[in-house]
Amino acid sequence: MAGTVIGSGISIEGEITSDDDLVISGSVRGKVIGKENVTIEQGASVEADVSGSSLTVQGSITGNISAADRVDLQTGARVIGNVRAARFTIADGAQFKGNVDMDV
Amino acid sequence: MADVTVIGQGTTVRGRISGAVSLEIQGHVDGEISIDGELTIDRDGLVSANVDARVIVVRGAVKGDLVAHDLVSLEAGARVVGDLKAPRIAIAQGALVRGQVQAGGDGSSRKLTSRAQVAKPVARVESVSRVERTARPEVKVAPAARVVPSSLAVARSANGSSGHERKAPPPPVVPVLKKVKGAIAKRK
Repeated sequence: MAGTVIGSGISIEGEITSDDDLVISGSVRGKVIGKENVTIEQGASVEADVSGSSLTVQGSITGNISAADRVDLQTGARVIGNVRAARFTIADGAQFKGNVDMDV
Repeated sequence: MADVTVIGQGTTVRGRISGAVSLEIQGHVDGEISIDGELTIDRDGLVSANVDARVIVVRGAVKGDLVAHDLVSLEAGARVVGDLKAPRIAIAQGALVRGQVQAGGDGSSRKLTSRAQVAKPVARVESVSRVERTARPEVKVAPAARVVPSSLAVARSANGSSGHERKAPPPPVVPVLKKVKGAIAKRK
């Protein structure tokens, strides 16, 4: 298992920058800058702007999201903020409030 | 999988990390770490932070104070600039330390009042003799000369009875420490 995992018992206040895959199950306030896949797992609480290449969300994000490739809000996701990505999916059961910019 | 927290090699965290679980750092952390669990700073890990944890295991580089409620273990390859405080402290051969070491005592969670005084090894003379008087049984592997080598001459005279420590000549630590500081700066 490569990359960075922020476990469910951890909370980070500040900025996370990563060239690797990033999995967040804990709590983050600040800024998340990924270069690869970023996964916000169920139970995670992120109050931050999040960027990455591909973003998968099962937890909660308050903040703007931007992805070079795609953003997937899966069941259980709760997102308040704007989304900017070339491809964007919202699964049944995901909650979302914000604007979408798909670079049309 | 999500129970273990790993700051991977390509990752930098700037800010405060807290929590009640264990943490492994292979990347960079700048700021403050306060966890109620085991903190491992791996060989490639680079931490510029004051650290407070139950157990701290260092194989990489740290600039900042390390305070553990149980154990601080510096393994071979560890480079620490900062003070150490824990009920038990282990410093392995090949680990480098520059700072005040305080082992044993009440093991309280109070943080060290002095922050890492990186550039002032000369001012550490009294602390050396104190460390050697109170803490020697707790320091497992280290030749004490390694702990604060630049003050060794004074430490030796204050501590004439310890034959085995006199055998170890002071290693030329200053260039090594320069290297460490350079490494931290370079990686930023």
